[in-house]
Amino acid sequence: MSGRFSAAVDYTLALAVLLFAWWFATGPMGLPTYLLPSPLRTWNALVTIALTGELWRHLGFTLQNIVLGLILGCIAGIAIAYVMTRFPKLAVWLDGPLVILQTAPKIALAPLFIVWFGFGVLSKIVLIFSLVFFPVFVGAVAGFRALDPKMKDLSKLLGLSSIQRFRQIELPAAMPEIFVGLKIGAVQALVGAVLAEWMSGKVGLGYLMTFASATYKTPLLFAAVLLTVVLGLLLHVALTILERRLLSWKGAARG
Amino acid sequence: MSQSERMIDIAGVHKTFVADHGTVTALEPVSITIKEGEFISIVGPSGCGKSTLLRLISGLDQASGGSIKLDVSGRKRPVGFVFQEPVLLPWKTIIDNVRFPLDTSGVSRAQGDKTALDLIKMVGLAGFEKALPRQLSGGMRQRAAIARALSDDPPILLMDEPFSAVDLLTRDNLNDELLRIWQSTGKTILLVTHSVEEAAYLADRVMVMTARPGKLKCIHNVELPRPRGEETKLDPAYHALVAQLRRDLRTPAGEAH
Ligand SMILES: Nc1ncnc2c1ncn2[C@@H]1O[C@H](COP(=O)(O)OP(=O)(O)OP(=O)(O)O)[C@@H](O)[C@H]1O
Ligand SMILES: [Mg+2]
Repeated sequence: MSGRFSAAVDYTLALAVLLFAWWFATGPMGLPTYLLPSPLRTWNALVTIALTGELWRHLGFTLQNIVLGLILGCIAGIAIAYVMTRFPKLAVWLDGPLVILQTAPKIALAPLFIVWFGFGVLSKIVLIFSLVFFPVFVGAVAGFRALDPKMKDLSKLLGLSSIQRFRQIELPAAMPEIFVGLKIGAVQALVGAVLAEWMSGKVGLGYLMTFASATYKTPLLFAAVLLTVVLGLLLHVALTILERRLLSWKGAARG
Repeated sequence: MSQSERMIDIAGVHKTFVADHGTVTALEPVSITIKEGEFISIVGPSGCGKSTLLRLISGLDQASGGSIKLDVSGRKRPVGFVFQEPVLLPWKTIIDNVRFPLDTSGVSRAQGDKTALDLIKMVGLAGFEKALPRQLSGGMRQRAAIARALSDDPPILLMDEPFSAVDLLTRDNLNDELLRIWQSTGKTILLVTHSVEEAAYLADRVMVMTARPGKLKCIHNVELPRPRGEETKLDPAYHALVAQLRRDLRTPAGEAH
């Protein structure tokens, strides 16, 4: 408890220092607004779009894409990893194509996704999905392969059904490795979401950035950037909480 | 219910493992018929195929030849197995681990909790129900594994050195507890041990095995009266048997000692 409290103090202090430096640069140092808007102007820009409701539309869109991409990427990553470890013959066939796809830079494929899946929400979710899938998949394969053979003995002895074995033994045993992949995937998902919105469409935090910079609304641009940072932090916090709950049995999971 | 004369019928069972560097004969042909409710101890040096034999009986491994028949009339889980290591699920609490066989066979939670709590108390882990395996000592984990093996009440109980990680005093208590369970439930028990005293104290018959290649050397009937207790350990017949078992284990192995 005291550890958590002192961490909160640390974060607050760091934030205060940053805010002060920001204010100092724009106030006493007198940097022009088109380079660095003051905290107050940024805040005003934020409040304005919050009041018109635009903020929630953009934030909601980005968040929705990230969450959908994360969920779909996780399910597919875990499912395919599981099938591959259960049926090693299949792994021989799938390994090659998967390695090629994995090494291909997904960001570079983004324009192709737009060509294939359009300017709408679909191409964005596909990009996020492709960014989340691989780290989760790699983690899950490692997790499933590392299963203690004695656990297999136990499930065989108890005559567990495939579903019971997966739900009760294999998935929880692989969870630590899956989480390693998921945490990497979550960072990538945010990058992918913003990037996809830069390239096409008329909604999302990424779009808000391109719009603001094209129209020289630097305070709005700053507000959008800050929102993205906050979104990344929230994502990190949510995953950490989830990890604490799911992996508390590992003990001493500090993060 | 009449007792089965051939609860476990092992006829000419042998096992050869195929490894990268050739084949390993883990077990030369073994034959033995075990009655329902019998208590069998198995002693032998490391690597003589004791674990292999138990795995074959449990169906975890397939024999290379011979046959094993269990007279258990189609029960889904005829054997409980206490492995050489505890093999608890590290993400489940002790009570959840003990209840696991019940949970996965459709027993109600309330019923499962009741059975699990009784067993946990019996193996001396009361107060640790909500602990995780990593918070327990090796011996305590092993006792939790014993409770789990008993939880869905299998007619046959296979135990692979279950007490090797337990101190001598606790071990004596667990031995007496095991005899009590055995007597009140009529289970057929096969117990592997490195202790000839333990083997003689517990069993109706002791199987002596030798290594390289692993095979059954001889079987001793234990004629000590039941119920057994502290006075058994003073019985000259008990000491004679223990000495005999020691000799059996020593004679063939010119290299082992
Ligand atoms: N999966 C396996 N693959 C190859 N060889 C094996 C395998 N399992 C056991 N063996 C071999 O079979 C022999 C008997 O092994 P087993 O585990 O049954 O011995 P044990 O009597 O239980 O020994 P211990 O008292 O040390 O537990 C050993 O020589 C071992 O190397
Ligand atoms: Mg063994």
